[in-house]
Amino acid sequence: MRIGSPKETYAADEALFRTRTQWAWFGVLLAALAGFPFVANLYWLYLVCLVSINVIAVTGLNVLTGYTGQVSLGQAAFMGVGAYTVAWLENHTGSPFPVNLLAGSVVATGVGLIAGLPSLRVKGLYLAIATIAASFILLFIFKNWESVTNGTRGIGIEPPSAFGVALENPDTFYWLVVPVTVVMLLLASNLFRTRIGRAFIAIRDRDISASVLGIDLPRYKLMSFGISAFYAGMAGGLYAYFFGSINPESFPLLMSIFLLAAVIVGGMGSMLGSILGGIFMTLVPELLRYGIDFLGLFMENASAVLSPVRTVVFGLLIVGFLLFEPLGLAEIWRRIRRFFHLWPFRT
Amino acid sequence: MDWLFLFEVSLAGLGRGGLYALTGVAFVLIYKATRVINLAIGEMLMVGAYLFIGFGAGMALPLWLAVILALLGGALLGFVLERTAIRPLLGENPISVFMVTIGLSSVLVGLVEIIWTANPRSLPDLLPRDPIFIGDAFVAPKTFWSFVIAAGVIAVFLLLFRFWRGGVALRATASDQGAAYAMGINVPAVYSLAWALAGLLAAGAGILLGAISGASSSMGVFGLTVLVVVIVGGLDSVLGALLAGVLIGWVESVAGVYLGGEYEQLFTFSILLVVLLVRPWGLFGTREIERL
Amino acid sequence: MSIRKQLAVMIWPVAAAAMMVAGSAGAQDKEEIVIGASVPMTGPFAFAGIQFNRGINDYVEWVNSQGGIRGRQVRYIGEDTGYDADQSVAVFRRITSSEDVTFYFGDSTAFQQSIEPELERRDILMTGASFASEINNPEEYPMQFLLGPDYGEQVGILLEYIADENPGASVAFIHSDTEFGRDPIEGGKKMAEDLGLEVATTIVTPPGSADVSAAALELRRARPDYAIMHGYVLSPIPAFIEQARQMRLDTRFMGTIYTMEQGIIDQMGETAEGFLGVMPYRYYYDENADEAPLLQTIREMHDEYQATTYTQGWVAGILMQRIAEHTLDAGRELNGTNMRKSIEEMENIDTGGLIGKKFSFSGNSIPVGRIYRADVSEGRMVPVSDWIELD
Repeated sequence: MRIGSPKETYAADEALFRTRTQWAWFGVLLAALAGFPFVANLYWLYLVCLVSINVIAVTGLNVLTGYTGQVSLGQAAFMGVGAYTVAWLENHTGSPFPVNLLAGSVVATGVGLIAGLPSLRVKGLYLAIATIAASFILLFIFKNWESVTNGTRGIGIEPPSAFGVALENPDTFYWLVVPVTVVMLLLASNLFRTRIGRAFIAIRDRDISASVLGIDLPRYKLMSFGISAFYAGMAGGLYAYFFGSINPESFPLLMSIFLLAAVIVGGMGSMLGSILGGIFMTLVPELLRYGIDFLGLFMENASAVLSPVRTVVFGLLIVGFLLFEPLGLAEIWRRIRRFFHLWPFRT
Repeated sequence: MDWLFLFEVSLAGLGRGGLYALTGVAFVLIYKATRVINLAIGEMLMVGAYLFIGFGAGMALPLWLAVILALLGGALLGFVLERTAIRPLLGENPISVFMVTIGLSSVLVGLVEIIWTANPRSLPDLLPRDPIFIGDAFVAPKTFWSFVIAAGVIAVFLLLFRFWRGGVALRATASDQGAAYAMGINVPAVYSLAWALAGLLAAGAGILLGAISGASSSMGVFGLTVLVVVIVGGLDSVLGALLAGVLIGWVESVAGVYLGGEYEQLFTFSILLVVLLVRPWGLFGTREIERL
Repeated sequence: MSIRKQLAVMIWPVAAAAMMVAGSAGAQDKEEIVIGASVPMTGPFAFAGIQFNRGINDYVEWVNSQGGIRGRQVRYIGEDTGYDADQSVAVFRRITSSEDVTFYFGDSTAFQQSIEPELERRDILMTGASFASEINNPEEYPMQFLLGPDYGEQVGILLEYIADENPGASVAFIHSDTEFGRDPIEGGKKMAEDLGLEVATTIVTPPGSADVSAAALELRRARPDYAIMHGYVLSPIPAFIEQARQMRLDTRFMGTIYTMEQGIIDQMGETAEGFLGVMPYRYYYDENADEAPLLQTIREMHDEYQATTYTQGWVAGILMQRIAEHTLDAGRELNGTNMRKSIEEMENIDTGGLIGKKFSFSGNSIPVGRIYRADVSEGRMVPVSDWIELD
């Protein structure tokens, strides 16, 4: 049982990792991530890469929705902006992939700022609907700006290569996407130790009081949109490299809903929540697949009969978490941790 | 400029708008009474259409009976959704409730696919097929009749709101919940009533929509355009839903014919953005958004 | 149980035991052939995916009862993707990481495009539900083949039929604003002009659009002799045809493979009368089943009508079998590269009559199809042309 962790300075109190144990666990996590490719097969590596991409996008959305309180259903469309930028640069300029990824994120940020303009005028649900509109308009551009996006046929992207190795398979791509995710997560975590991050939280908790406290609402709201879109752009760029081809239908509204669902299931306003939500929601369909496999032992044609069940489960997860665990998986995690901290005493 | 053609296209647009208006009223009903933005409205429509198929084609009941049963089924669905998923979130963050309705829409799609499979279906013939002419202008009969029925249903509902006890209770709750409580109105019952009526309207709209374009498990996307309609009209205004429904239907048809079908959604969503920027409470809504 | 099957049942345990003893090296020859598949059993394409899955399952059962492909048993593993490209790839990874897959089946153009480099690395041959013109390009997609004519060729077959029946006629294109819908339109317009047909108008409908009466008015203004509809499954085809009838248009409506399902008659009733379309496979009730031994097999397995998407599962199976046989007979190892060679070499490919004509691949596609007309009084699709092969 842990008694407490005394701190002597403010800096120590707001540090990302406050105790030595946390540092140790972080080290263990990094070691595990570094070792994973040597033990896992390509299927699991594929899933980890997909999870990482989703975690980046979910983290961005969590900054906007979970921390700043602005609901957005446009995250997938911003991913599309990043993806198309990367594809265009890769095919037209041949610039190195880190440049392309950054450029994709920056362009997505710009688009996100424009799409965030309605947030100066409306909030809450109206804003969610404005972002739906923005994503349909972006979709229209993806479909019809033929010279850049190649229309509905989509574009192919060559895999990036680093140190002469083409990162074309999950086992190599892993070394790009996982470090990027770790860095993006650390950046986002640190954001909330700064003035900007705290301004976001103040806006979420009560925008008018925040304004009274001297927080420039338009500026910080737009900044939040921009940061969120930056993450989406990065995720989209990685997505483009990872799948090697994109088309307008790669970024449907359903994907935005999926990402928002991941924020809710994981835990709004929690970095741990972004991670857990991204992991959980990406893996649920896969876990259900194993469930269906298992039932297939007892019934014929199980996959055809049971597949719609996955759609139902997806919906029930959203509803269930909102009704019974509004703070998401992050809260469940915290509860478990508290249990072990206080063991053998009860909370 | 071919004026007759423009007139015909406009009529087609108005006809399309009738369904938007009908669904919009269902949407507004829920919003007025319970302040919930219900993104599952399109899927409630879908369930209505499939219930009609189930009763009318599956169980081979007479069509009038199938319509009534499907409407009642829709009402029951609205009632159950409110009691199980919406009621527990009473007073919570509206965004959570909004997300719950998104989750519910996914559940409904899955259930429909489990029960009726994913094959697209046609509905049993319900509306007359003889061509209709207004002057020289042709109107597609199904569109015409669905417009007439939608208009009739809306008229009945407007009268109900005005004169029926339940309707008055609904309006009272919408305008001031606390006062309604104090006057002895059973507010929770009003919530159930609003959802049940909306479910019934949505089922009706679903049957009409299905009669025009068939049913499939993806027909819920219709709800997205309805979302545009109610925002443009004003979330809490029945009149707004009616006028905006017809307006959006008209704009879509004209844009679709004169510019090409790919521009339909671009136009509706651009209108939405403009309205949100210029007049976020909509054309007829109550101005209650805090300016920031 | 046939003698063959009995033999197989007796021999298999022995063979399996022998393989275990001999170790993996010696067992290579008589290994199973594994067909993996990302199948859309939910989502907007589920109507086809479920039937396809049944079809290929039945094919595998049949081919194994016949002794497999050159003595090698076949195993099929298909999993649901919800018609989502991420999940299609996940299924691909999952199956290929635990199985040595020889053939793969893909469910969408997006997936088939993005998985091509991986197919080349793993040397797997693929076919799929997509008939995208984009994939009909052996340079870019050497590891894939199509299960019929690509969408462009389907429209081409329709246009040739029109030019033949009614030279100089006017044609309208009606398509959905999706990747699927837009695919053959540009090419189709050019081809129509080359054939001396007039393109009256092109009508785009947004995906999921409910009411098409305004678009139908546009059709009346253009008054085409024919209207080719592409990118739809059912809706809004019935609405278009009904309204055209009510407006007294004598336009003849035509569809491509996924609209030519029997369901269009069952669901549309009277309205379907005279609907024309192109179909590369024989329908379940084809009158010349004696030319198609595999169709007879299907009929023996199932008393009731089977969808064309079910037949598609069989076609996928039998084509993979033919390609594998050709490769093995040439003494080559069974991998994607060698099978690609086979695709280029093979002539007079016989699909047990499921495709009505023996053919060779042209690029990645099978440019064969037949025009059928919906005959409502008979409740079935009747052929109105011979099997057409594009050159």
